[in-house]
Amino acid sequence: MTSGAITRVAEGAPLSVKLTQIDWTFCLALAAIAAAGGLMLYSIGGGWSPWAWKHLALFGVCFLLMIALAMADVRLWFAAAYPTYALGLLLLMAVAVAGHSTMGARRWLDIGHIRVQPSEIVKIGLVLALARFYHTLPAAKARLSGWLLIPVALIGAPAALVAHQPDLGTALLIAATGGVMMVLAGLSLRLVAVGLVGLGAILPAVFMFALKGYQRARLLTFLDPQADRSGAGYHIIQSKIALGSGGLLGKGFGLGTQSQLNFLPEKSTDFIFASLAEEFGFVGCVTVLVLYAAVIFMALRMASLAHSHFARLAAAGITVTFALCVLINGAMVMGLAPVVGVPMPLLSFGGTVMITMMIGFALVLSVRVHRYSEVSSGRGTLV
Amino acid sequence: MIRPTIYFDDVNERQSLFHRRAFLFGGVAGVGLLVLGGRLVNLQLLEAGRYRTASEHNEFEFLLTAPPRGLILDRDGVVLASNRPDFRLLLAKDEHTDVDGVLARLSSLIPMDDARRRRLAADIAAAPRKAPVTVLEDMTWEQFSAVNVRAPELPGVTADMGEVRVYPFAAAFAHVVGYVAKVSAKDIAKTGPNAEPILLNPGFRIGKQGIEKAYDLPLRGTAGARKVEVDVKGRVVRHDPAGDIASVPGSPIRLTLDADIQNRALEVFGEESGAAVMLDCRTGDILCLLSAPSFDANRFVKGLTGPEYRALAGYDRKPLFNKALTATYPPGSTFKTMVALAALEKGIDPATVHVCNRAWAWGGRIWHCDAAHGALDMHNAIKASCDIYFYQTALAVGPDRIAAVARRFGLGQTFDIGIPGQKPGIVPDTAYKRRAFPHDPVWHPGETPSMGLGQGYVSVNALQLAVMVSRLANGQKALQPRLVHSVGGAARPTGAAGPDLAVAREHLDFVRAAMASVANDVGGTGYGASQLGLGPVKMAGKTGTAQAHSYQGGRGAHGAQGAWAQRDHAWFVAFAPYDDPRYALSVLVEHGGFGAQAAAPKAAQLMRVALLKDPEVRARIVQPLPGAPASQPPDGGSPAPGAAPPPPTPDPAGGGTA
Repeated sequence: MTSGAITRVAEGAPLSVKLTQIDWTFCLALAAIAAAGGLMLYSIGGGWSPWAWKHLALFGVCFLLMIALAMADVRLWFAAAYPTYALGLLLLMAVAVAGHSTMGARRWLDIGHIRVQPSEIVKIGLVLALARFYHTLPAAKARLSGWLLIPVALIGAPAALVAHQPDLGTALLIAATGGVMMVLAGLSLRLVAVGLVGLGAILPAVFMFALKGYQRARLLTFLDPQADRSGAGYHIIQSKIALGSGGLLGKGFGLGTQSQLNFLPEKSTDFIFASLAEEFGFVGCVTVLVLYAAVIFMALRMASLAHSHFARLAAAGITVTFALCVLINGAMVMGLAPVVGVPMPLLSFGGTVMITMMIGFALVLSVRVHRYSEVSSGRGTLV
Repeated sequence: MIRPTIYFDDVNERQSLFHRRAFLFGGVAGVGLLVLGGRLVNLQLLEAGRYRTASEHNEFEFLLTAPPRGLILDRDGVVLASNRPDFRLLLAKDEHTDVDGVLARLSSLIPMDDARRRRLAADIAAAPRKAPVTVLEDMTWEQFSAVNVRAPELPGVTADMGEVRVYPFAAAFAHVVGYVAKVSAKDIAKTGPNAEPILLNPGFRIGKQGIEKAYDLPLRGTAGARKVEVDVKGRVVRHDPAGDIASVPGSPIRLTLDADIQNRALEVFGEESGAAVMLDCRTGDILCLLSAPSFDANRFVKGLTGPEYRALAGYDRKPLFNKALTATYPPGSTFKTMVALAALEKGIDPATVHVCNRAWAWGGRIWHCDAAHGALDMHNAIKASCDIYFYQTALAVGPDRIAAVARRFGLGQTFDIGIPGQKPGIVPDTAYKRRAFPHDPVWHPGETPSMGLGQGYVSVNALQLAVMVSRLANGQKALQPRLVHSVGGAARPTGAAGPDLAVAREHLDFVRAAMASVANDVGGTGYGASQLGLGPVKMAGKTGTAQAHSYQGGRGAHGAQGAWAQRDHAWFVAFAPYDDPRYALSVLVEHGGFGAQAAAPKAAQLMRVALLKDPEVRARIVQPLPGAPASQPPDGGSPAPGAAPPPPTPDPAGGGTA
């Protein structure tokens, strides 16, 4: 291996040294959230099956995968950035053509026996691609220049394809992650303000013309859940009842009537936070929210410590994805946002999202382990 | 070697910018999490009570339990309507239920033809979400347990035990007691915007006729509830007995009817059509109120099939129709008692003699009698039921006086007996003529003779004639008939509490003596048929033969000849014992022919049941000769020789109301 201009710990260090560089407190926080998810899934599933054991086993496997990938040099991630993004985009196009459709939406691709959700690959791919793009872009150009059309295109293409599936929640998540990354990379705040105002202006038009009927209904229902008690408003009402009836200390483990008697919809996936709130109350909710906050702030700190711009932005991008998931799902469960299919990361049951998030955290940990690594501009350098 | 590609000032600028922006993002995320925390404070701490209530509202349901319906008893406590257990199958659907699949699986357990399955599917489709529909009633224990065992394969299906109304005497009390049947949409609409929830309970029945309808609310009682925990599909997960609300059983209702007399009446009528009403003429209690032929009230509880209903409704003897209250007929010669009383009250001497030559010319036409009775005074005219005597008496008294007396004896009125459906009939007078015939408001003298025979405009129902004869027999009080003895133990006032009957004693004695002659003297129209064979206990009565159709034009048949629907109606009114009246009755045989032949024997049989049940009367029968047979066979229906039935004559008003 070659040595860079500045050589610090972990630059080509042996594995044993690298392992000590992993932030184990951070790993513990992740494990605590996953364990809380396992506990809730055990309660609402009435035992280890059908959800709890799968959830915990998958977390175990993903945890090992995360540690393993964290050993990979940041430069490997750097090299993989555009290929990952391209693969994700290609698969998204393939889905649009030949995807497996469930409940009217084409989101899955069957490859042999494995079912792939390309929108998850593209989540990581986009973060990597944007980080790589900005890695070689000077600050002045990142602030405001014609070059910014490239990240806009990088974000817009997958977001449009995912929205077309249609999976509005994930599309918004992808677009928002990309947008926040552009801001982190130095986008003019004045432009951000103008953009937000413009977005607010075109939102009604989007609502009227670009959205599908059920998407419109969800938004309208969010604004007035009582108008449709048994239909779309049902989810919001029942979720709020579950939360509120939990009170300070909750109804107790396995005693949440809203989830045990199936009044709560999607109790193992999107609405698992409501089940938790019902059985463990305010205390349980705040504990889990504090764990999420810890994960977010630790990850942001790890991103800030990195020496290379790519590593900083990539780790921060993953953190942004995670934080947005937590905030959107939390707001949805508490009746502050419309019902969109965004799960609570690590808490909700669902393999694909778990794998994505854990690979993302592998990147974050890798950035910490290799925080002193410098990354070359690679080919196509702009400076 | 990698050449340094990054300008340090730029690196520093990008790094510090990133740090500022990351700090900003961290702040925004932190604020977002704080907002979530604040929302949790709001939902879980401040409004927890409200949501806890909503959660319990989701979790717990109160399933209504129908109270046992009150019993209906006769005067001695014999059960006329009670309840028996019933295993039944309910299906409550929600949007996930595959109704066709469930019905298909059910039909493998319980035989069910396609037509029934289709009807059930339609019922279930029409029922509101989660409202159970009764799929099957009266399941056998085997079926009940088969369904219970396979319950997991039958989502929404529950088997439970309810109660169903049963009428042990089936037909005898069907018109009076009525019946219960399924609650119809119309019944629910009638109860107003907030229907009593129990009405929606599957298998719940409400009274549709008779006492069951009129006293539906006291009989119904108050619904209770079972507190159960349900899941989102409405399936019962757990029962919480501590939260149950007990139901209050319906109040029992005791009637004044006597099951023995009523049952005997139904037997006596057989397939003949008519009505029999018996009153206790000391209290006004209705001991028998029968309309024949009758129907099995139990069939209505289950729900009649179309063909069954059409068979009942289409039968020309009208089994569904209560002929004792709802049908009015001309009273025929039974009305002569009223004419005689009116004559006595006007001061006409009962010794006045008229001569009957079988025909009498008056008003430009010939008035007929069925026999040449010769010279008769009033007593003998009643005894022989001479028409020519009463044409002239009626003319001498005039319609208004006759009508006034008839009304005093209860004709033309309805009585508060607790069940609806009484027709008042007509007691005509000059005022009636003015009211009912605006184009011909004048009472023509030619209309009076037929009124004297209880024909023409006169029409009465069987209950009214029974009241008339019970007032004649009682003599003191204007008795009111009473059918409902007590509701939930609270007795209703007896009929003897009414006002006095303002009729002179000697006039009543005269009419009663004449009625005794009708039944007991040779030559009385009811002589042969109304012998009780109970020694000193004898009956007094009056026959009547009411013209159902005008005989003119070849239609109609005198007496018992001709087609059934064209024959005369036969009446017999009576009271017994004639020297100490206790029971009074009226018997109508629709299209039965002569009163003496068709009605009087039935009256005698019913009277015997009542008299023999009465211990004081029984003592009289047994006492005088210890060896005398207490119950010799009844006299049968053969008319005595010489008894001349009194058929009515053609009447200028154009036939009686049948």
